[in-house]
Amino acid sequence: MKTGNAFPRPAVKSILPFVVLLVLLILPAAGLSTNITRLLFTTFVWTITSVAWNLVGGFTGQVSFGFAVFYGLGAYTAGLMINAGRDPCFSFLAAAGMAALASFLVGLPTFRLRGPYFAIATIGVTEAVRVVMSNLKLTGGASGLNIIERRTFHQAEHYYTALMAVALAVAISILISRSRFGLALRAIKQDEDAAASLGVNPYSCKLWVHAIAAALTGVAGAIHARYFPYIDPGGGPGGVFAFQTGISILLMPVIGGIGTVWGPVLGGLVFGIVEEELVVNFPNIHLLLYGILLILIILFEPDGLAGLLRKLFALFRRSRGDSGGQDADQVLWRSGSVEGREL
Amino acid sequence: MSNWFLLRSRRWTVLTILLTCLTMFFVGSIPAMADDTISIGVILPITGREGKPGQYQKEGVDLAIKKINDGGGISVKGKKYLLKEVFYDDGSDSAKSATLTERAMSSDNVTAVIGGYSTALGEAEAVMPDRHQTPWITPGAGATSIFSHGYQYVFGTLSPIVLLGSTTAEFLGNLVDQGKLKKGLKIAMALENTDHGIDYGNGIEQWIQQHPGYFTVVFKEKFELGNTDFSGLLQKVKSARADIFLSDAHLQDYITMHRQYLQSGMHHQMISYGARGPESDARKALGDGTNYIFAGIWWSKSLSYPQVQRFINDYKQFTGHEPDSWYPATAYDSVRMLAAAISEAGSTDKAKIRDALRKVVLKDSLLPGAVLKFGSNGQVNYPFLIVQNQPGGKVEIVYPKNGATAAPIAPTP
Amino acid sequence: MTLEDFLDPLISALLLAGIYAAMSMGMTIIYGVMKIVNLAHAGFMMLGAYFAYELFQRFHIDPLLGAVLALPVFFLFGMGVHWLLVRWLPKSDQPTLASLLLMFGFWLVLQNVAYLIWKNEDRSITTSYTLSSIHLGPFYISKVHLFVFVAAVISIVVLQIALKRSWFGRSMRALIQNPYAAQIVGVDDRKTAMLTFGLGTAFTGFAGALLAMLYSFSPDFGRPFLLRSFVIIVLGGLESFSGVAIGALILALVENYSILIPHVEASYQPAISYGLLVVVLLFLPKGIAGLLERKWRAG
Repeated sequence: MKTGNAFPRPAVKSILPFVVLLVLLILPAAGLSTNITRLLFTTFVWTITSVAWNLVGGFTGQVSFGFAVFYGLGAYTAGLMINAGRDPCFSFLAAAGMAALASFLVGLPTFRLRGPYFAIATIGVTEAVRVVMSNLKLTGGASGLNIIERRTFHQAEHYYTALMAVALAVAISILISRSRFGLALRAIKQDEDAAASLGVNPYSCKLWVHAIAAALTGVAGAIHARYFPYIDPGGGPGGVFAFQTGISILLMPVIGGIGTVWGPVLGGLVFGIVEEELVVNFPNIHLLLYGILLILIILFEPDGLAGLLRKLFALFRRSRGDSGGQDADQVLWRSGSVEGREL
Repeated sequence: MSNWFLLRSRRWTVLTILLTCLTMFFVGSIPAMADDTISIGVILPITGREGKPGQYQKEGVDLAIKKINDGGGISVKGKKYLLKEVFYDDGSDSAKSATLTERAMSSDNVTAVIGGYSTALGEAEAVMPDRHQTPWITPGAGATSIFSHGYQYVFGTLSPIVLLGSTTAEFLGNLVDQGKLKKGLKIAMALENTDHGIDYGNGIEQWIQQHPGYFTVVFKEKFELGNTDFSGLLQKVKSARADIFLSDAHLQDYITMHRQYLQSGMHHQMISYGARGPESDARKALGDGTNYIFAGIWWSKSLSYPQVQRFINDYKQFTGHEPDSWYPATAYDSVRMLAAAISEAGSTDKAKIRDALRKVVLKDSLLPGAVLKFGSNGQVNYPFLIVQNQPGGKVEIVYPKNGATAAPIAPTP
Repeated sequence: MTLEDFLDPLISALLLAGIYAAMSMGMTIIYGVMKIVNLAHAGFMMLGAYFAYELFQRFHIDPLLGAVLALPVFFLFGMGVHWLLVRWLPKSDQPTLASLLLMFGFWLVLQNVAYLIWKNEDRSITTSYTLSSIHLGPFYISKVHLFVFVAAVISIVVLQIALKRSWFGRSMRALIQNPYAAQIVGVDDRKTAMLTFGLGTAFTGFAGALLAMLYSFSPDFGRPFLLRSFVIIVLGGLESFSGVAIGALILALVENYSILIPHVEASYQPAISYGLLVVVLLFLPKGIAGLLERKWRAG
């Protein structure tokens, strides 16, 4: 049960996200610079992938390196449809659908594998898809795809689309975490066989959560592609199917706090902002700083930023003399795993 | 877990680091718009795959800006403006390249952007100029596709790669006419899987179609960029039993492929790696193995124009080394074209500068032909030079004849 | 296709398989004992390459010798990395995400440090024999490839012998088989872990130095080899040494022959290698070693 004197107070905690959302909604109208709007836009897109990945990797404990596939497929699907003259919203839905379909193709064989084998299989699939897409004439092959939209560019339009998408992603994440489905996923994460013996069908649950996550990631790729209308299929950084992209996607929930609901959001935020600022201000050593940041987080705060914040609040609680109670929103802030974060 | 105090200090460390990062977000880069400067965005890779050529192009840009500023700056309607460079390293990342270009055009409010080395980075950046109505000149991307989207603010100082292909074929045809090569020779092509490679292949095939009887293509395949091992591909080329081997590759792949070519004892009458050949890195890596390779490049320091000599001296003084291949020259002239356009436009208004760019002619260009003008789609169209690595570490211009410094050695001994 | 056309890729594949096996050994050693998937593997190979390069450039030490010298140097380096970073990881008998990302972060650090020291240029090591080949009938066997192959094979054989005979080797294998039982029997898992990490790093540095003789490199070097190592150790079975050798051979053969498939362009080749990976995982989840184990057990 919620204790009345836990910090932050439960009422504050549930209202906070809505306040933030409201602020984000009115920011552009209040005259936000183009630069920061773009920065926020990119952050939103990455946060969607972060939240999506967390559904599979954090809630269900299946670490996939292959989310770049869905990101890229979403981008290409939307790109091809927009070029063919379709309405962007419809294209985004198509992107989601395509990505979900692909997730079944990937998941059906690979979810029979456990642990590191699954992770490595996802790497193999991503690379194979990348090579194929770099050669397919339909999608422009190695030259990539240019999205031509015969409309004036309104940055605010893209901003709001991304904002709505990320809000939707977070909402889905909260819904799942509080549902029976979410419980089933956590059970699978802790012990797949035990969960199966209790009546959960791990294989089918994994497939469904994978599909939801893939759909969200596909939408993220589509939204991003519409803003930066050149899709690069290459293996170098920036390529939608690049190994690095897949790693970036899973980095965010880890930094933020894997397995929690708000952790990936924090992770996406930090990643989006820090990444760009690092590149701009420290062009020669940004990899170094990024790597050190990662190492520090892994070694000192494996629960990520969410864990850090939680401990900070606990610190305040203790210093105020309150006996820290167990919040019922453990579900939102704690990863819920009993042992170490396993693959 | 260990000591609680240690724990707390660790958390504070992490927190401090994170806060520092977030603070940088607010510090950012606040452009100092002095009254008498014109800021130019420069978005080039100096790290990552394309870091090496990107670095050279940046040197070309830096040198041009320095020379202009040393001379007092650009004069616009009688008032002198100094050029200020706003540089971002895109790390060979196409997504970052687009983002940084947009950043330069919007929040840094630059008057123009020079950037986009290589097709991927060029394509990524090319969407931004029209969106923010800021002129953009690429000194490093020559794929025709960038200039065929109908963009208004996009310009480039690299001649189209299709022309590179057809010039290469023309050169070979010329050798046949001279009697140095027989007619009807077979060509094997191994092209990198990019716009660059595809355009190159198209250029060659176009020429061959227009001049029947000269050559036949017996093998044409694309390979993946950045591959470490080409023995399989070379095996296929070997089986094709061709007389001439034409490839189009990035520097790293050229070195790797040619090393394996030599190791497998292969030999062809003529061999080229597209726009690669004379690079000093290749010489260092392969020594005499690079002899007789010819390449079609956008500029060579052996060009006999006086402005080229001046440029080479300035460049040596500025950077401490000789210009490598063609990279700095196109960048240097991009800046000069821009400066000339600003001057002619008589204003720092971007639309006027764009219009001026369409009309401006650089009469002492470093580039072949010595006269530089943007075409109607924004791309320039000056002739290519064919250079050949000749024994003794020399790189000679062998085609076209009226600029040649030496006769081509054909077939390869 | 002539016989020559058929045998040429076979020879290339054999030569390649040696170095592929050597480079994957390091990863297998570390994974087997510590269940850490070492993403910094690529970084260590890159450093090994630069190590051989510097020795060659400054002291004119032949890179083969340089590779051998790399072994003790990287052994110490590996132990240092373990002491500084790896030992703090929470222990588990399953590979953890934390270990994966820690090594990835370290890889980024290594890459950037290399940029700062050596800048971006592609370096290569060109000895007097780099471009020459041995002429056997219609076949050309590149000398460097042959030397690298011999060095790789010798190193693997020495490693196998050392693992079978030494106390350390037996401790390692005990930990691979059953970490808890091993500790009960008196194996010091912390010390062994540090030595293991050192050994794995040493081998990787060694392989990197050998690779430097074949390919040019920059701080970005290693990524395609990292991915290949994954394929190989999965093919071979994540914890088996002999499996690695077989896996390396299979991958090398597939890579070389798949290019020759008519109507499939060379640029599709990597897709075939990765497709192979996925197929193997599906039908042989424990890799080749698992298959062999089953056959051995069946009689």
